[in-house]
Amino acid sequence: MFLLLPFDSLVANLLGISLTVLFTLLLVFIIVPAVFGVSFGIRRLYMKTLLKIFQWATLRIERGAKEKNHPVYKPYANGIIAKEPMSLEEEIKEIRRSGSSKALDAPEFELSDIFYFCRKGIETIMDDEVTKRFSAEELESWNLLSRTNYNFQYISLRLTVLWGLGVLIRYCFLLPLRIALAFTGVSLLVIGTSVVGLLPNGRCKEFLSKHVHLMCYRICVRALTAIITYHDRENRPRNGGICVANHTSPIDVIILASDGYYAMVGQIHGGLMGVIQRAVVKACPHVWFERSEVKDRHLVAKRLTEHVQDKSKLPILIFPEGTCINNTSVMMFKKGSFEIGATVYPVAIKYDPQFGDAFWNSSKYGMVTYLLRMMTSWAIVCSVWYLPPMTRQPDEDAVQFANRVKSAIARQGGLVDLLWDGGLKREKVKDAFKEEQQKLYSKMISGNHEDRSRS
Amino acid sequence: MLIMVDSKYSNIVLGYNDELIWKHLKHLCLQTVTSEQIEHLHRRFKQLSGDQPTIRKEHFDNIPDLEFNPIRSKIVHAFFDKRNLRQESDGLADEINFEDFLTIMSYFRPIEMNMNEEQLDHFRKEKLKFLFHMYDSDHDGKITLQEYRNVVEELLSGNPHLEKESARSIADGAMMEAASICVGQMEPDQVYEGITFEDFLKMWQGIDIETKMHVRFLNMETIAQCH
Repeated sequence: MFLLLPFDSLVANLLGISLTVLFTLLLVFIIVPAVFGVSFGIRRLYMKTLLKIFQWATLRIERGAKEKNHPVYKPYANGIIAKEPMSLEEEIKEIRRSGSSKALDAPEFELSDIFYFCRKGIETIMDDEVTKRFSAEELESWNLLSRTNYNFQYISLRLTVLWGLGVLIRYCFLLPLRIALAFTGVSLLVIGTSVVGLLPNGRCKEFLSKHVHLMCYRICVRALTAIITYHDRENRPRNGGICVANHTSPIDVIILASDGYYAMVGQIHGGLMGVIQRAVVKACPHVWFERSEVKDRHLVAKRLTEHVQDKSKLPILIFPEGTCINNTSVMMFKKGSFEIGATVYPVAIKYDPQFGDAFWNSSKYGMVTYLLRMMTSWAIVCSVWYLPPMTRQPDEDAVQFANRVKSAIARQGGLVDLLWDGGLKREKVKDAFKEEQQKLYSKMISGNHEDRSRS
Repeated sequence: MLIMVDSKYSNIVLGYNDELIWKHLKHLCLQTVTSEQIEHLHRRFKQLSGDQPTIRKEHFDNIPDLEFNPIRSKIVHAFFDKRNLRQESDGLADEINFEDFLTIMSYFRPIEMNMNEEQLDHFRKEKLKFLFHMYDSDHDGKITLQEYRNVVEELLSGNPHLEKESARSIADGAMMEAASICVGQMEPDQVYEGITFEDFLKMWQGIDIETKMHVRFLNMETIAQCH
């Protein structure tokens, strides 16, 4: 019994020392650089090491699969149906040509027209573009996270040990570190902005506010071990403009805001989010809407226009897709932000899914589960491209402008440019789209009908 | 020549152990669909049904691209039509399983190079029968003027500029043409009841329309199938 007491105090001492060391390391290597905006390059070194390990793991799996005659499953990203790129009109003409021995000039309506729609329908039942976009992107190599392990079974002892080690490191070392950092970052943000908010308006307040914001966002970035590469920083958004980006996860905000000082737009939430929102608006004029105001599009547009017209105010940050997409494509941009008439600064964000999948499937995971998943991944690696500013031309309307911006973003980020509405994840197709297809077909027929009756 | 499929694989794919069902499925698909494609279709079936063993009509609402299609309801209806499912009874099924799903998909098989005359004829009849059922919504074996009008209206329904009258006249004109092919000259008071399946076949005689009614699978290389 007596032996326990000194042993106890020994353990307590050791614990105390290790915590102090950890804390000092934390401070020196992570928080101080975040405050000043410099980087030691530790994260990049970490990323390179991880890549080497993943490559080794993938080779082992493929070798193991060969030895045991297991098929290694690779998903077909392009779907399984061979589609010919012919338009509706061409296809129907071809069907009629092969069916009818009559003269080729426009029979009005043929029983065979139904073939085209029937076949298209069956093709979409077999495989469709849109639903593919909403599930997380599938990887071709294994990154030692069991959540991405779809079909790789137990291959070798060494690999399993490595995976186990990975779990240990991620959950017992990285996770507490990250949580501590996140906590520090968020509390500093709330306290800092509240304090700055007490100052009278002026240059001093603005200067301090900017640096408090940037510092706290940088700490949060390190809390997620996000390794971000910024391209073309000379195109960064300026005052009086609107910054538009594609949306994959709530982390997008942190990534962009750690490199620039923006005014956020959004709905006021309850809980922790609400506390943060109320604090930051004291230091800097963000645009928060009450839940009831969000539905009123005119009110939203009015407030945004007012903000933008004041040239001293910060650029607004908006995600026009309206929902999180899985980062392989860009969906339809809602036209509201493009009607305001300010300069638009497009930004493309592309995540590398090899280190951690940043896509938030909000119907599958809640916010807390999502954040935990993020914090237990290896890292979040992404690239941000600042594209040159765009303005609406006199002869195009808001929708065309939105599409132009969307194409530019998709092209830069290497994402597929889809016409579909991101809101389809939850709602049904708008009738307007259905009409388009039918209009095209009936124009073909009635056009011919008119020609007939005229001649 | 049937595809060689590992029986262990079949369990993984289908979750049933019934050898007979597996044989039947292989027969449905023959050489034109590989086991990987069946797997893909099975995954698609599970995705549509939400991991249930059967699909109901509501499950087709989850396909956004299908909303685009003006004859959507007819296509979905065709999946549940018992005549297409090769069942003796008539009417509509409430739900279909994977085997029924594949049965409907098999109507869209492409033609194989080594089919003989009889097989080709049967093949063609099957496809045209599928289409006939799509038009004949009351299952009485005839496409009446009203049913024909319904189809034309559905196809043209999206265009607000096209009035119902025009749609009707288009349908009527087409129906008259069909009648003239099938019955020849009609007496003034003779009533043409509707297009029967034989008439339908007559309209397409000598014209190989069925080459347009198939879905082509992408030629997928098998990856890492190391044997």
